[in-house]
Amino acid sequence: MSVSTAAYLARRAAQKERVQILYRRALRDTLTWAVHRHLFYQDASNLREKFDANKHVEDLDAIDRMIAEGEAQYNKWRHPDPYIVPWAPGGSKFTRNPTPPSGIEIVYNYGREDND
Amino acid sequence: MALRAVLLRQLRVPVQTLALASRKSQPWSFSSCIRLMSSHDDHLSKEQVIGRVLDVVKSFPKVDPSRVTPDVHFQKDLGLDSLDNVEIIMAIEEEFKLEIPDKEAVKIDSCNLAIEYVYNHPMAA
Repeated sequence: MSVSTAAYLARRAAQKERVQILYRRALRDTLTWAVHRHLFYQDASNLREKFDANKHVEDLDAIDRMIAEGEAQYNKWRHPDPYIVPWAPGGSKFTRNPTPPSGIEIVYNYGREDND
Repeated sequence: MALRAVLLRQLRVPVQTLALASRKSQPWSFSSCIRLMSSHDDHLSKEQVIGRVLDVVKSFPKVDPSRVTPDVHFQKDLGLDSLDNVEIIMAIEEEFKLEIPDKEAVKIDSCNLAIEYVYNHPMAA
């Protein structure tokens, strides 16, 4: 089971990516919940300790179970109105001023007629 | 009074025509006289991006600032964890006011990739 075959390594790499994405979302969420920076640093270090406590687990199924639990906790704690950068989808400025279609031009002739 | 008028007529101050001539012959740089009304037009220069990204990486507490170069790999050269990688990328996102999608953020592993991503991003501030 613990022989380093390609399948094992591929599964470990996929789990690593899942953990990274979960940590990223959890950290972003912590930032939306704890707006003030000193509170955020506190909560971020608590989160990091929770992740580091399970760092040395080797069993694939246990890791999968822990990732599923972590994602369930993340879904439970998600902020209803997260801060998203304004121009990104979900932000406040998204598609506010789309670029006008090409080929349109404004002719400044200030009321002068064309046949003058 | 008359003496003053005579003296003023005699005095000739050399006019600085050289500055005027050189300014006229220079090609006008339109970006300085036109106000850019949208935030989609200005782009950062590569040196600015490199400087700011390196500052972010150097101010990370687990990183030794003297070993940071534009080519450094976060996990191999600086000995960081994958979670530290995530934290550095979040710090870069906050610095440049970007939003990097999750799939791409996981792939940014070294300073090189980070600098290229930020430089090629149209909305990097």
